[in-house]
Amino acid sequence: MRLYVIVLGTASMLLCALAVGAHEGKDLPAGPIRERHYLMEDIGKNSKVIGAALKAGDSGPVAGAAENIQADAAKITGLFPPGSSHPKSRAKPEIWTNWAKFEANAKALQSNAGALANAAKSGGDVKAAADTMFDGCKSCHDDFRVPEKKKRK
Amino acid sequence: MTLRHVWLVAVALLLCRSSSSLAAGDPVHGKVVFALAAGCGCHTSTDGPVGAGGGEVPTPFGKFYGSNITPDPETGIGNWTDAQIIAAIRDGFALGKGAESPAMPYYFYAGMADTDVADLVAYLRSLPSVRRPSRSHEGELPLARWAYRAWRLLFFRKSRPEAAALATGPERGRYLVDHVSLCIDCHTPRTRLGAPNLEMYLAGNAHGPTGDPVPNITTHATGIGDWDVDDIMNVLTSGRLPNFDNVQGLMAAVVDGHGGGPGYKAAPEADRRTIAEYLKTVPPVDNKIEDK
Repeated sequence: MRLYVIVLGTASMLLCALAVGAHEGKDLPAGPIRERHYLMEDIGKNSKVIGAALKAGDSGPVAGAAENIQADAAKITGLFPPGSSHPKSRAKPEIWTNWAKFEANAKALQSNAGALANAAKSGGDVKAAADTMFDGCKSCHDDFRVPEKKKRK
Repeated sequence: MTLRHVWLVAVALLLCRSSSSLAAGDPVHGKVVFALAAGCGCHTSTDGPVGAGGGEVPTPFGKFYGSNITPDPETGIGNWTDAQIIAAIRDGFALGKGAESPAMPYYFYAGMADTDVADLVAYLRSLPSVRRPSRSHEGELPLARWAYRAWRLLFFRKSRPEAAALATGPERGRYLVDHVSLCIDCHTPRTRLGAPNLEMYLAGNAHGPTGDPVPNITTHATGIGDWDVDDIMNVLTSGRLPNFDNVQGLMAAVVDGHGGGPGYKAAPEADRRTIAEYLKTVPPVDNKIEDK
């Protein structure tokens, strides 16, 4: 019985995740624009794990999630080829006019996520490392992401 | 006490006596009220200066620009009495203009306690004076002032605000959400006449003040039912969402402050926590707000 519940629960969660993903990304053209959307969602999902772990005071799940983010971060720049803007994408043109900074931000996320994973493994200051990583997310979003999707009239 | 001190005290007493019957506000606490009120952000354009007007509010009834509320005597409110400024904030009447449009949420500020509004006015008077004529609204209704007057008659029930606000507790949370910080203003949908639909209290607004959707912040699953107090605190403090994403646009501006002024993050931590704790008690309303 218990196994049955777990299997059903997992299956429905997977279905939900698929449904949400399909809904969010379906308006975006296949290729790097849609892929980077899913990449950011994956970073968000792992960040949520880190946030929940910090709240629960159990840094156990932190290292794995941070390593996932580190791996994702390595893929960011490759998914923003020149000219890959789209009306439904929130990518700002500044990404390509200020590429050096954008690239540095992506590298910083890689090292910040790595530092967070190390802190979690070595009993370091996980909260401080997570805050540093979040500050990087925010500053890059503020510079390179359109605030909200404006409705087109 | 020297003679000089006696003289200063006498002058101070005279000054107090000659002011109006309203107690003179405290600009230091007024700055706290200003931060809690998201820096009265509509009255500041993106690049500042604080209070010099120019924030944009597009509505179905025209595009409004916040007016200059700095102490400049000609283009701001320098020549207004305290009572006139308080009438503009809590009563919907602007000196020389008449009834205000519902873009100015006076009907929510109407519940602001006497001491808080007096302190806020004192703080506004301490802002650097900026000489900048307020920008005219665009696309207003014909006979707009009459329409606003009618709207005010229809939808505004004046109530007697408290003399002083509660210092703590869930009722203070409600006070801040409804009458000072005005979460209610953007997060509650409106009827076709622009009146707040209070049956959908805080349940999100598909057509928010900048034209963008504003999320449901009730405790329903379509709102923020799975957030805890710390999650809400993070948004009000740094704009951080539970998935480490961050709010942008108007919500970021009310947290960070408009044009360099103070916003929610500059307000006392205890007040932000009180807001967060109160939001966890708001009845759930099922209302899914889709990203456009």
